[in-house]
Amino acid sequence: MEPAEAEFLAEKELVTIVPNFSLDRIHLIGGDLGPFNPGLPVEVPVWLAINLKQRQKCRLIPPDWMDVGKLEEIRDQERKEDTFTPMPSPYYMELTKLLLNYASDNIPKADEIRTLVKDTWDTRIAKLRLSADSFVKQQEAHAKLDNLTLMEINTIGTFLTQALDHMYKLRSNLQPSEGARSQDF
Amino acid sequence: MSESYFPVGPGLGVEENFLSLDDILMSQEKLPGRAESSLPRLAFALGQGAGAGDSIPEGSKLEIPLWLAKGLHDSKRRIISMELPKIYREAWRTVFSADANVVDLHKMGPYYYGFGSQLLNFDNPENPEIAQTILQASDGAKLEFHWTFISRFRRIMDSSQNAYNEDTSALVARLDELERALFRAGQKGLNDFQCWEKGQASQITASSLVQNYGKRKFTDMDG
Repeated sequence: MEPAEAEFLAEKELVTIVPNFSLDRIHLIGGDLGPFNPGLPVEVPVWLAINLKQRQKCRLIPPDWMDVGKLEEIRDQERKEDTFTPMPSPYYMELTKLLLNYASDNIPKADEIRTLVKDTWDTRIAKLRLSADSFVKQQEAHAKLDNLTLMEINTIGTFLTQALDHMYKLRSNLQPSEGARSQDF
Repeated sequence: MSESYFPVGPGLGVEENFLSLDDILMSQEKLPGRAESSLPRLAFALGQGAGAGDSIPEGSKLEIPLWLAKGLHDSKRRIISMELPKIYREAWRTVFSADANVVDLHKMGPYYYGFGSQLLNFDNPENPEIAQTILQASDGAKLEFHWTFISRFRRIMDSSQNAYNEDTSALVARLDELERALFRAGQKGLNDFQCWEKGQASQITASSLVQNYGKRKFTDMDG
């Protein structure tokens, strides 16, 4: 899966906006949205929020977790623990990138938030690599990792599955082969 | 966005993949052996002797490629007998068990794992005393591949996931082809992520296959 596909899935998450137009409730295949009244906050999916923001029809309200204090706490906890801590949103990386790219004027201290999220990401990726390495070294049969997000899995997924594939083939060579593959003409 | 060409990977075991380019190149690697019976008029074909009618006397040493060795290998008609190349023998195995990371696997034959897997599955223990040794030796060597791969895994993972936009030729110089493919997969994961983060993932770029096609067309028009 590409990062762009993970971003596409992340755009289904709901975020709060304050529109500056009015519109009745709209009925889409995925569900109903609205009604939109100027000045009243309403929850919409991120794809719509970004689109409205680009057309200057709304103001984005950052989600609760996108706040310097909270993110600092999350980052510190991630650094303390050996396992993965639950993230405030399963798409925190994608949402950070989208919201900070398109709506940084609506989000206070955008640069600090970007740095904090990047730090947390780096810590988690380092833990993931450590865990993959010990998995391979000890030749475990299966491993369980909680609280991983899709983007992190994507970054390491192809490499790890190919490596495990090769390991399996090399290990199955150890089984004695029954019957020589001889061809008699 | 996604790949337009999926290469067939090498079969790392008893059978090689017929359609895999890696396996085809790998089976060209030579191994040492000796002729068990005299081979009339084949000296030229096997690279020894100048005349077309020269024959190879019994017992002479030959270096033949793997595909030929597999074809000529037959327990009933003793045409040739093959030996393990030195890098798969005891001496090198102790080097690998000491520290697998320092060995330059590219120099050892760029298809170390693939070739080794093939070798150890077709040796033919005719002599009963040698048979036991070979079986143990080959089991030992099989374990060695497995272990070598595992110990080098960490190095490959770290270097592939951390070298962004740097010259990677120094890093891949010591990896054999199998590890290089893994390295490229790791790099691709990293590059895709970085490219997405910079926002380049949503830019439309020409596919690499079409670009090459386009270049050829221009030279046709010019020349």
